[in-house]
Amino acid sequence: MRLGIIGAGQSACTLATELIRGNFDGEILVFNGEPHRPYQRPPLSKSWLKMPADTNILLLLPEPIENHASIQWIGEWVKLIKPDSGEIYTEQATYRVDQIVLATGTRARRLTIKGLPPETGHVIRTLKDAERLRQHIDDAKNITIIGAGFLAFELAATLDHPDRIIRIVAKANRLLPQVSLKTADRLVGSTPASTLVDVKIESFDTVSKSLITNHGPVPADLVIIAAGAIPNTEIAKRCGLGTAEGIATDEFMQTPHPKVSAIGEVSLHHQPHLGRSERVESISEANDSATTCAKRLLGHSEPFGAIPWFWSDQGQLKLQIAGLCARSDDETCLISTDADSVVIRHCGDRVTAVEAINAPKEFMAARRLFERGTVSLSALTKVGSVFDLLQSSRS
Amino acid sequence: MPQLNCIDPREQAIEVTFNPGETILQATNRAGVGGILAECGGGCSCATCHVILDHTWDGTLVGPSTQELDMLSFAVDPTPHSRLACQVELSDKHDGLSLSVAKRQY
Repeated sequence: MRLGIIGAGQSACTLATELIRGNFDGEILVFNGEPHRPYQRPPLSKSWLKMPADTNILLLLPEPIENHASIQWIGEWVKLIKPDSGEIYTEQATYRVDQIVLATGTRARRLTIKGLPPETGHVIRTLKDAERLRQHIDDAKNITIIGAGFLAFELAATLDHPDRIIRIVAKANRLLPQVSLKTADRLVGSTPASTLVDVKIESFDTVSKSLITNHGPVPADLVIIAAGAIPNTEIAKRCGLGTAEGIATDEFMQTPHPKVSAIGEVSLHHQPHLGRSERVESISEANDSATTCAKRLLGHSEPFGAIPWFWSDQGQLKLQIAGLCARSDDETCLISTDADSVVIRHCGDRVTAVEAINAPKEFMAARRLFERGTVSLSALTKVGSVFDLLQSSRS
Repeated sequence: MPQLNCIDPREQAIEVTFNPGETILQATNRAGVGGILAECGGGCSCATCHVILDHTWDGTLVGPSTQELDMLSFAVDPTPHSRLACQVELSDKHDGLSLSVAKRQY
């Protein structure tokens, strides 16, 4: 079989690795639109930004996989696919394959801000973005991050420096809306940045080097836009397979076209844990959807059944989330001390997610409990700890 | 270059070279040592890069953090010499260190 993987990020690399380790009988073409060997993205907003300029990025693939004889690396992005004929078109050439896997990922959402000079405005998604940002950090005294999510807060913690003032401005009316109020309070309370919500940005004033907003001018000699990601569905849309929301697949990562699959952050499929279809942005989704797709291509299909999980390093705080909840789900605080906290998200009695700050045992216990099935709030509150519930369920 | 002596879960011995300053995970990942999943990419968040170090090297290593110990308590059959490969930074004095990859990460 000849397989074309479009994309070279986490999910694409996991798929290639799983196929080679599973003795895939065929040829794998990987289309990489970035001018770098596949690399790890999570460190970009964390430790990597602070490291010396000659620091090598962490590579994603073991050398024996990257250099494996069955993989052909194509350093060109794809313009068009024709699913019926299995044709993949780049600027330079046309390739014909038996199966196409779309692992096109997401890109940073950019905002148009009137008057903002290109060298002042940044996003962070790719190594190129991060390298460009790193060149400008040392000269910046006022850094303003636009966004309300984990990335904005991770960047603030990473860029913290006595000579800098860091501000986070958000269009939304609350910060970190993907976690509970309690967890968000802890993270906001520990950020070195000052924060502003309900911000409408009108323009950038180059004379005063400020963002002009409905709250007055916000000084910024560097602006980082961390306002979410957009799924790269253009290639799929051109052949009728994707929408702006993602590329729909079944539980085996197969799109409605028998020759086309989609994996990773771009795939929109049933999440058994949530009980509905949702596009999930996390490393666990990238790995688990790739593994599901690999099993199908290797001839022993198993439906996607993984429980999502997330983590974010925010200075001294390590947030780990097991499961995934709706933003409207209730919150019950289970443990709260000066050092750590555990918040349960639930919909009625059904626990949907566990948010653990500096509480790795609770996080791991929650993952194990979710893997076994439904977790009920009443059982948890009775025992008083996720970890204790796991222990008691073992005995 | 300094090197590690690794035993993978299939009992295969693999010599892995490293650059001082790298973690065990960075070195073993580059070399493609089997059995280390490292699902979180080295963030001490998944406990799937469990390795067991030769205890005679204990004196040369900085001990695990509470976070690492807590994560390790959820690894499969942890031992007193278990570590997460992503949390052990290597220096010149670790040339020749022996380790085995845990039989299972789940």
